[in-house]
Amino acid sequence: MQNAAKLQFESPSFFKRLKGMLGVDFYRLFHTPLFYIFLVIAAVIPAMILGTSGMPGPDGTPTPALYTNTWHIIAAKTPLYIVNGIADYANMNMVFIFGGIMVSIFIGHDYKSGYVKQLFTTHAKKSDYMMSKSIACAFAMACMCVTYLVGAVGAGLFAGTSFKVNVGSLFFAILGKMIMSLGWASLYTFLNVIFRRYFGISIASSFFFGTGILIIGAAAILGNNSALNIFLYGSSVYACLSSNILTLIVCLSVSAVWAVIYNVLGSFILSRSDVY
Amino acid sequence: MNAIEIRNLSKNFGEKQAVCGLNMTVPMGAIYGFIGENGSGKSTTEKMICGLIIPSGGEIKLFGRAHTDADVRAKVGVLIEAPGCFPNYSVWNNLMLQAANLSIPNAEEEVRKVLKTVRMEGAASNKYKNCSLGMKQRIGIAMALLGSPALLVLDEPINGLDADGMRIMREVLVDVTKNHGCTVLVSSHILGELEKIATHYGIIRGGKIIREMTAAELDASCRTYVALRASDMEKTKTLLSCKYLRVEEDESECIRVYDAESPEEIVSYLYEKGVTVSEIGTDKIGLEEYYIDLMKQKEGR
Repeated sequence: MQNAAKLQFESPSFFKRLKGMLGVDFYRLFHTPLFYIFLVIAAVIPAMILGTSGMPGPDGTPTPALYTNTWHIIAAKTPLYIVNGIADYANMNMVFIFGGIMVSIFIGHDYKSGYVKQLFTTHAKKSDYMMSKSIACAFAMACMCVTYLVGAVGAGLFAGTSFKVNVGSLFFAILGKMIMSLGWASLYTFLNVIFRRYFGISIASSFFFGTGILIIGAAAILGNNSALNIFLYGSSVYACLSSNILTLIVCLSVSAVWAVIYNVLGSFILSRSDVY
Repeated sequence: MNAIEIRNLSKNFGEKQAVCGLNMTVPMGAIYGFIGENGSGKSTTEKMICGLIIPSGGEIKLFGRAHTDADVRAKVGVLIEAPGCFPNYSVWNNLMLQAANLSIPNAEEEVRKVLKTVRMEGAASNKYKNCSLGMKQRIGIAMALLGSPALLVLDEPINGLDADGMRIMREVLVDVTKNHGCTVLVSSHILGELEKIATHYGIIRGGKIIREMTAAELDASCRTYVALRASDMEKTKTLLSCKYLRVEEDESECIRVYDAESPEEIVSYLYEKGVTVSEIGTDKIGLEEYYIDLMKQKEGR
């Protein structure tokens, strides 16, 4: 506390503020069971899909295996926006669905505990909050991508599926999807800012957008159109087993642009509405 | 320069007008008791000062600057309703997280200092969720004190505190204002406690400040009265009502005479009428009674 005569008003620089807020968000991330539960979920999903694929049906006859190549559970061979079956849909993009739920719970806790109230009464800016949450949640989803990969490899070894792949393309595909985490995390942070008073709606909306159903619907009308890459789900699909450096550039650009858009919109909404 | 200066502040929630044309001035270094009934607009006003709610109209200045100014916000400590803590983290960790958000250098030292101020050093490792209500309120104060604030905004900080907790809170608030030049805006329904520390008062009703005064002004406007007990209370009351304009019986079954010149005057009057006075003395109405009287006046009761 200071004497009135000595009062000096000075708030920390942007980098200091962001560093402090990121420190808090990463501390919380690493100290919440939620993060580890979702890492496990991400590892279990591919294991369950691969493990149950080809198992005997109710009549005892084996069903056709969904995947003969382990890496197809990471990404499709080519960008497939139109979904004809579960095998076309079930790949690493599912991480973004579960990631959305994780982000909703993580941010929901900010409001439930009153942390945002404590935060926004200080010098913290709304844009710092959006940025910090997006970065921390993007990191969490990127980690989920890694455990998904581990789960897929383990399940592939167990199921005896092929591991034949162009290593370069696989690397670009995985890296592309991990980069897309930033865009997805920003979208979910934005959705949770909009529905901050309605936790159930936050989760439902994150799930809805995470499934990519809007893009799949658009693809049903437009066909397998590469213009869909301008959307988060489109670019996530574009990161497939035929990826190259261009794919990475597209993913990076789309993810960054949407991250900026959602961060700006989220900051705008927070600064124009009652926070708590 | 005033710590808080509010002009024509208003806030509407849909059709409901929670605050309308509120004007308020909190001088620097004051402990400003913010009083009002439930739903009178206290918390809404405090939330607007803290930047949690956006005003529908009017202006809020903190230390002569816009209340949204990040530089000025860095000097405001807040406890609105309950402290914003994570229940599964320890008291220490919660404070350290807030210190990180405030980018406080020497965070550990600062946290230790505020814990000592609120006499919570021994409970630093306790999980927040296991703390009692009183402890939680003190943690909230500790959190508000982080970062050397020049202004503290406290909403009902003494709710749920035991006698010792209230004493500690009083001491902390007096210490931060007297020794560190901090200004405190504090709302409370426990007027007796507020009266012990406040230097200024603002009374809000229907979203408007209906009276602002210093503690000295309150003292001057609080009427003195003669309180007495006699052998026959009913007769005494009837007799006194014939001679004096305002005679009331209070909760402690004493008769209060508000417009008597002196106790001696009453004793001799009652003696003439054959009533013996067993106890008599003079006193002053406190903040609580002043407030109740004011509310009655406003309601036209």
